[in-house]
Amino acid sequence: MFDTAIIAQTLLLSLTVAGLYASVASGLTLEFGVTRIINFAHGEFVMLGAFITYFLDTLYGVPPVIGMLVAGIAMAALSQLVFWAFLARVLRQDEHNQILATLGLSILILNLAVIWWSPDSRALHGPSLLPSLHLGGVTIPGNNLLVLLVGVILYIALISFISFTRYGVQLRLASDDPELAVLSGVNVNRMFGVSFVIGGFTAGIAGGLVALVLYVQPSVGLDLVVRAFAIVALAGLGSIPGAMIGAVLLSIAEGLTSTFVSHGASWSYGVAFLVIVLVLLVRPTGLFGKEMRA
Amino acid sequence: MRSPAVRVLTYLAIAIIGCGIALFAQPFWVQLFIGIMISAIMALAWDILSRTGQVSLGSAAFFGVGTYSVALLAEVLGTALAWASVVVVCGVLAVLLGLLTLRLRKMYFAIATMGLTLSMQVAVLVFSDWTGGSGGVIPPLLMGGDPVHQLLAITALLVIAAMVSDFFLSRRMRPALFLVRTNPALAAASGIPVVRLRIIAFTISGILAGIAGACYGGLYGYVVPTDVFNLNWSVLPLATVILGGMDTTLGPLLGALVIRALEETARTVIGGVGYQVVYGAVIILFVVLMPTGIVGLFNRILNFARQRS
Repeated sequence: MFDTAIIAQTLLLSLTVAGLYASVASGLTLEFGVTRIINFAHGEFVMLGAFITYFLDTLYGVPPVIGMLVAGIAMAALSQLVFWAFLARVLRQDEHNQILATLGLSILILNLAVIWWSPDSRALHGPSLLPSLHLGGVTIPGNNLLVLLVGVILYIALISFISFTRYGVQLRLASDDPELAVLSGVNVNRMFGVSFVIGGFTAGIAGGLVALVLYVQPSVGLDLVVRAFAIVALAGLGSIPGAMIGAVLLSIAEGLTSTFVSHGASWSYGVAFLVIVLVLLVRPTGLFGKEMRA
Repeated sequence: MRSPAVRVLTYLAIAIIGCGIALFAQPFWVQLFIGIMISAIMALAWDILSRTGQVSLGSAAFFGVGTYSVALLAEVLGTALAWASVVVVCGVLAVLLGLLTLRLRKMYFAIATMGLTLSMQVAVLVFSDWTGGSGGVIPPLLMGGDPVHQLLAITALLVIAAMVSDFFLSRRMRPALFLVRTNPALAAASGIPVVRLRIIAFTISGILAGIAGACYGGLYGYVVPTDVFNLNWSVLPLATVILGGMDTTLGPLLGALVIRALEETARTVIGGVGYQVVYGAVIILFVVLMPTGIVGLFNRILNFARQRS
C-alpha cells in the first residue's frame, strides 16, 4: 500500500492543487492584511470567476486561459463596486458588523447564483491545455500542471507588486500603520479599495483554475473558502508567503488523507477543520502571523 | 424598557399566540408557527452568545448535534433520557469548544465555528457506522407526531428560552456582558470573570440551539445530515437577530416572525432553491442602513415621540 510511486503521485498532484488553494488564500489574506476585514464573500467571487470562464468557453468558445483573465478583470471591477457601495461604510464600524456584512454578501451572491444557474454541477470538457507530464511511474494531467504554473505566476506577481511598486509600498504602510500612512500622504481609503481590487482579481483567476480542474457549481466557492480560511489560520492572517506555504501543507495533508485513510476521500474539508483546531491549540496567531492588534 | 411587567407581558404574548394558533388555526399556520418558534429559539441562543462579543457561525453544529443525540441515544436510553441527554451532550461540546476558542478574536472565532459546522457533516459521513451516514437517522417523534401538541411544547420551550435570555439581560449580568464585549481587559481588571462568562454564555447558547435541533428532528421523525448540519442553520439566527435587534429578547422574537414571513413569500415567488437570498439581502440592508434592527427603530420612534411631547 505504501508504494513510493503512489506517494510520489499523491504528493505531486497535491502540489498542483496547492496552486489553486494558494491563489484563493493569497487574495483573502491580502484583503485582510490591509483592511482587517475577513471577506467571507471571497469564495463567491471565485465561484463567479469559475462561471464566467465556463460560460465564455462553452457559449463563445473563448479558451479558458483568456476566460480566466476576463474573469479576473470582471471580479476586480465587481470588488471595487462592492467596496465603494457598501464595504467602505462598515470599515469604521464594529467588527461584528464587518463579519456580518461580507457574510450577507456571500449569502446573497451564492443564492442568486443558485437561482440563475441552478445548484447543478458542470464541468469543462475541452482538451487539456498543456501536455501531461510523465515522470517515472507518475503522471500529472496537463490541466493540473497549468494550475500549478498559474498559481506560481500569480504568487510571484503579487509579491513583486507588494515589494517593488509604489502602490505596494503604500499598501504595506496602510496595513502596518494607517495613521502614519495618512500623515505621509497616503490615501488609506483608496489603498483599502486597491486591496479589494487585487483580491477580486486573484479570486477571478482562481475561479478560472476551478473551471479547469474541478467542477463549476454555486457551492464551490464555499468549499474553497473554508480551505482558504484554514490556510490563513495556519499561516497567520495577512502573510502572503505564509498563504503559499499553508496551501502546500494543507493540500498535501488532504492528498495523503484521501489516499491512505479509509473513507479518506469523504473527509474533504474535515482535514481543513482539523488543521484549524491544531493551530488554535498550538499557536493561535498562526505560523507566520503578526501579533494581532486589538 | 426592561421592567418586570414588560418581561411578563412578553412571555404571556408568546404563550397566548402559541396556544391560540395551536388550538384555533389551520394546519398551515400551525406548521408556520412551529418554524417561527424554532427560529426564535435559535436566534435567542445566538444573541445570548453575541452579547459576549462573539459572532458565532456554529449554531448549526449544535442544532444538528441536538437532533442526532436524541435520535441515536433514544435506542439506548429511551426517549425521555435521550431528550435530557441533549443538554449534557451539547453542554459538554460547548464547554470543550469554549475552552478551545473563546480566547480567540472575533474573526478567528467566526472562522473556527464555521469550520466546526461544516466538519460535523463530514464527521457524520466518516463515522457512518454509528451515525447512519448520509442515509440519515430516525429520531422519535415529538409529542407523538401531532402538530398541535408539538406547537404547544415548542411554545413552552420558547418561553423558557426567553426567560434565559432575560436572565442574561438582568441588572446584574447586562453591564458585565457589555464590558466583556466592548473592553475585555477593563472587564477583567474590574473583577469580571471574562473567560468564565464567555464559556457560560457559549454553553447556554449551545444547549438552547441543541434543544431547537432536537425539536426539529422530532417534527417528522426523519432527518438526513444535510437537513441539520447545514450552514443555513448558522445563518438564519444571525439574519433573524440583525433584523429584529441585537442584545434584546424581543428583537429575536420579532425578527423570527418577520424573517419567516419574508422566507415564505420568497419561497412562493422564487421557488424551492435560492429563496435564502432574503437572508443575504436582510443582513446587508440592515447592517448598512439600520444596524439596530426593528427594536432599535421602535426605540428611536419612542424617543422621538417623547421629545416632541
